[in-house]
Amino acid sequence: MNKKEKVSVGLPDNLREIIIEIPEDEPKPWDGKSELNYIGKRVKRIDGIDKTTGKAKYTFDVKIPGMLYAKFLRSDFPAGTISEIDLSKAQKLKGVYSVLPAQDDLPLIIRYAGQEIAAVAAETAEIAETALQQITFKHTTSDFVLSVEDAIRENAPLVYQTTVKEKTTEGDLDSSESSVVQEGNIRGPKIFPEDENAEKFDDYLRNCEVIHTAEYRTQVQTHSAMETHGVVVEWGSDDKVKVWASTQGTFSVRNDIADYFKLKYNDVRVITEFMGGGFGAKFGAGLYGIMAAKLSRATGKPVRLMLDRKGEHLSVGNRPDSLQKLSIGTTKEGKIKALKLISLGTGGVGTGAGTSGPIKNIYDYEKIYVEESDVFINAGPAAAFRAPGHPQGAFALEQAIDEMAHKLGIDPLEFRRINTTGNYIRQTQYVLGAEKFGWDKRNQVPGSIKGPIKRGFGVANSVWYYIYNKGFVATVTINRRGEVQVINGVQDIGGGIGTVLAMIVAEELGLEPDQITVKIGDTDNGFGPASGGSQTTAGITPAVRNAAYKAKIRMIELAASILGKTTDKVTMEGSRFSDGDDISKSLSFQQVAAKIPGDEIRVTAERRSDNLGREEIKTTIDGVQFADVTVDTGTGVVKVNRIVAVHDCGRPMDRLTLESQINGGIIQGISYALYENRILDRNTGIMVNPNLEMYKIAGARDVPQIETIIMDFNQAMNSTGAMGIGEPATIPTSAAIANAVFNAIGVRLRSLPITPDKILAALEEQSK
Amino acid sequence: MTENINFILNSALISTLIDPTITLLDFIREDRKLTGTKTGCREGDCGACTVLAGIYSGGTLTYKTVNSCLLPLGNIKGQHIVTIEGLSTEEISPVQKAFIEEGASQCGFCTPGFIVSLTGYLLSGGSSDRDKALDSIGGNICRCTGYSSIKRAADKVVKIFNSESYSGKTDIESLINTGLLPGYFKDIPARLAELQEKPQRVRAETDKFIGGGTDLYVQQPGKLREIRTEFLKGHIPETIDSEGGICRIGGGTTFEAMNSSPLLHSLFPEIEKYFRLIASLPIRNSATIGGNIVNASPIGDTTIIFLALDAWVELNSGTKKRTLPLKELYTGYKTLKIEKGEYLEYIGFYIPTGKYAFNFEKVSKRSHLDIASVNSAAFFEYSEGVITNARISAGGVSPVPLFLSKSSEFLAGKAISYETLSNTLGIMQTEILPISDVRGSGEYKRLLLNQLCKAHFISMFPEIIKEEALL
Ligand SMILES: Cc1cc2nc3c(=O)[nH]c(=O)nc-3n(C[C@H](O)[C@H](O)[C@H](O)COP(=O)(O)OP(=O)(O)OC[C@H]3O[C@@H](n4cnc5c(N)ncnc54)[C@H](O)[C@@H]3O)c2cc1C
Ligand code: FES
Ligand code: FES
Repeated sequence: MNKKEKVSVGLPDNLREIIIEIPEDEPKPWDGKSELNYIGKRVKRIDGIDKTTGKAKYTFDVKIPGMLYAKFLRSDFPAGTISEIDLSKAQKLKGVYSVLPAQDDLPLIIRYAGQEIAAVAAETAEIAETALQQITFKHTTSDFVLSVEDAIRENAPLVYQTTVKEKTTEGDLDSSESSVVQEGNIRGPKIFPEDENAEKFDDYLRNCEVIHTAEYRTQVQTHSAMETHGVVVEWGSDDKVKVWASTQGTFSVRNDIADYFKLKYNDVRVITEFMGGGFGAKFGAGLYGIMAAKLSRATGKPVRLMLDRKGEHLSVGNRPDSLQKLSIGTTKEGKIKALKLISLGTGGVGTGAGTSGPIKNIYDYEKIYVEESDVFINAGPAAAFRAPGHPQGAFALEQAIDEMAHKLGIDPLEFRRINTTGNYIRQTQYVLGAEKFGWDKRNQVPGSIKGPIKRGFGVANSVWYYIYNKGFVATVTINRRGEVQVINGVQDIGGGIGTVLAMIVAEELGLEPDQITVKIGDTDNGFGPASGGSQTTAGITPAVRNAAYKAKIRMIELAASILGKTTDKVTMEGSRFSDGDDISKSLSFQQVAAKIPGDEIRVTAERRSDNLGREEIKTTIDGVQFADVTVDTGTGVVKVNRIVAVHDCGRPMDRLTLESQINGGIIQGISYALYENRILDRNTGIMVNPNLEMYKIAGARDVPQIETIIMDFNQAMNSTGAMGIGEPATIPTSAAIANAVFNAIGVRLRSLPITPDKILAALEEQSK
Repeated sequence: MTENINFILNSALISTLIDPTITLLDFIREDRKLTGTKTGCREGDCGACTVLAGIYSGGTLTYKTVNSCLLPLGNIKGQHIVTIEGLSTEEISPVQKAFIEEGASQCGFCTPGFIVSLTGYLLSGGSSDRDKALDSIGGNICRCTGYSSIKRAADKVVKIFNSESYSGKTDIESLINTGLLPGYFKDIPARLAELQEKPQRVRAETDKFIGGGTDLYVQQPGKLREIRTEFLKGHIPETIDSEGGICRIGGGTTFEAMNSSPLLHSLFPEIEKYFRLIASLPIRNSATIGGNIVNASPIGDTTIIFLALDAWVELNSGTKKRTLPLKELYTGYKTLKIEKGEYLEYIGFYIPTGKYAFNFEKVSKRSHLDIASVNSAAFFEYSEGVITNARISAGGVSPVPLFLSKSSEFLAGKAISYETLSNTLGIMQTEILPISDVRGSGEYKRLLLNQLCKAHFISMFPEIIKEEALL
């Protein structure tokens, strides 16, 4: 049975009323007119004390009596074949419990330096380390390729002799793919639109009045979460397996382990009480999870396998690099007619190097043509990384857009405006952002500032998508003492979902967030979303609110029976239940709870589809960022002074954590733009900087002034109306910085990271 | 090898027979199961492992932040080590409170390190100079928050700390009263006084001396277990003195001790600016001048500084002492004229008397806390617009930390002018041989050294040489 509700949707100063249809047992969605106590406010994290006092236990901190420490032996050559492994010497060492090869049967083909060969479990980490040195193996090495250019050459050594199937995780956007060809080291191209004819398109492009074409490059970035990947596995004698995992998808770890070992899902329990960051790389059990489980099964003891920083850089994910050739065709007036992207990128031995999200989804165009391919090289595999493909795509597209604007003599912001006319969110964002930033004060002629220190402004757009999955099950309980719990398996990757769940339940029941006990991070707690694609909040919050609503209805029914009234006569003010006819007669939450039959009220609700039977829901999440930089033309050092970020994310839940997400995304963008770069030694294929000394990440002193404008965009498409922000904020930053650098020095840097030597070389080139 | 090690960990007395080369991080996490202290890199680059070390000396107790991942137990004898667990008992501290209020943790893995660093900052006076506050957390990496909320929390506690009721008092009693430290700190000075040991002679029959450990523990932590090691801390001088026109700095003096030395401040008023470019505060609190000179890194920052001061090193083998000019110490990449069993006891230089100027410059990829791609120091004596004596050094442009003798010689007797500058650059380029590496191409390093030399002139003689010279 469905019911009809009238809701107000849109931006706060421009609300419209619409009628929606929702299931009978769900509350009326929060909409643009809802006045709420916690949702949308700055609410402190419920786990603040645990995190600031060191009490919070991460997988890294799990210590169980008898626990063994496991470590990987990794290859120090990038390509070859291991035909024999001798584990016996390592096995004999005192304190060593088990040594296992990374692959059950030989030969083991090595495809990158850092690939796992074997794993040791020992009493201490130090013994395990010593044991690794006792493992010997017979191997041959073969030729290898380390860059896209080398890999696509004719007769280049092949990374794979076989066809590779794309492996996707909850962090990737699109897991459905039609057959993709693989030839040599190239997997692809994927063509969009599938039926487009390249030559016909090129004719069309050639006939545009103004054309810009250039090549853009981005580097490989590693996720570098502060807590490395890893697990503690306790394989019980009853073949029930308990896993503590530093994961952003508890259920994905459970499924991988259960599938691999042919166990019942119900016999594998995955726990993630706290976890130290993931950014897309921590889905599934990983080889480390599987090996730890094997070692635990073999030894009958709990096994801890946490990677070290080096293993982290080498083997568990990165953002692929890219080489993008991009063309734009416009009219003289600056209307975009044609967009073309030929994109090659490498995720090492992995896939997922596509970059076409931004070009397909930001601007209006008449025609588009995209060809994108994965290129295999002998380097560690890519993994979904905060907005997969989008920072790369935005770096190319948003610079190309800037270059086109420059060519046409149109203000870059104006050029963006006239080519996104159908998107009223963007139009509003441009106005808000430009005003806050002071876009009109920008240096009109790029590079025209006198003196060695030059300042410039830049702008760039981002796009992400409203994604959610269904079927998550939230449980809310209220016991006879009036204690309230919310229960679900979802893990908190750091975004603060636990706090948000408490806020929602508190909001619905008229309580305060710290009165709600939150039980999450455990697959025994009911299906919850993986934290990928910025869909955690959109996925789980409606289920939680729906469950809290059901619990509230039960409480109202109970109150009605105590008051001797029908339920429609009971009103709720805060957490008090009153007789609508005589409000002096009222009951506290505790008084009603005390009358709960049995022990507790326990209700569950599910994440269903968004409400149906209405006009289309907006599914892009739009954003624009403005950057202010100075370039020291003497040393080539770029400093980011200020970023203004305007983003939409549906209905904001906790503004404190939301802002933090945006700030964090921006810093990752700055770090990507200026510092981070995985460097492989040309001669050996070994990563030169698998640490945090040479693999530089922005620190507190590299941080500019950041101002965020969050647009409260209400669609009331479900009971909470939340969308996501985890990914969008990191997308446009590097492009905005690159555009600002151009504005400062009048020279384009089409390759990331924008390091001092590149700046100086570019300036020298220009002065010639 | 085991040794008896006594120190206080939070409120507990630790008196244990243990291998002194084990890191404090492993001891607190593995042995003591205090898991609030985290690990992000084990190389001093992330700050997740930061703890406080309280050092009792001359009747006063001072706390410093240190990276426990690079700190051997042999270096903390008689100290008070405070981990995140030791910063609050029943009540959380104002720093913890500010972190919660400002939402300064996201995943929270970095949080203990940041809180310890900021607490250390307040314990050392916590001035409201924002730059200094930021410097104190410069060695902590957070991959989630974007630092804005952390900076807000830092601003907040610094403000509270400098408010009237707190007024920046740093004696233990006041700090306990303000809630920054738990009550058990009251007894710490007396308890530490009992633990102090007498300095002993350095044993020369060793395979490896350990100074601050900040270099050794990055390079070869495992190996130290297998060889004979000798800890220098507490046994070699850590003083900075002047006598008879000579300044002598003990080989065990830390970077931060130099940074805060009144004597060095009076000689080089801009010294804080230089040290802010050198490592993070916790590293500066451990790293010694002896270690910097002996590890022979071609881009060692303090080595470059002392080269320009024409310093000498005083070596001691227990039986024999000798002195060597610093510029003659290095013979090739990471090789030097120090014999086995010899340790660096002092570094000395003549205190300049006439009119002089000094400057140090460093460029690296990140604006702060990077090991340099190129660095350079310059010391000029001058009178009436003419340079009378000059010494320039440069790092990152040769296999050894380089004293630029030709350029220095050339400058003597030259007028301070654009022409002199430009001629110097020409000579300089003939003295160097930079190689391409992760930190930049050889070509780029050549260019950088030119820029740094110009920066020396601009900074030392702003009236004569203007910023445009950089172009
Ligand atoms: C994160 C990080 C950042 C850093 N940043 C910088 C930087 O910005 N600039 C810079 O220059 N360096 C930097 N370093 C390098 C290092 O900290 C310094 O070189 C430091 O001075 C080494 O001193 P130490 O006392 O810790 O040396 P140790 O690690 O104890 O020893 C280094 C070497 O010197 C020997 N040694 C130590 N003391 C003596 C002595 N008195 N006599 C004889 N031999 C001795 C040891 O046997 C060893 O071979 C950094 C290191 C880290 C980990
Ligand atoms: S663990 Fe990173 S600094 Fe110690
Ligand atoms: S909060 Fe995750 S690293 Fe700082």
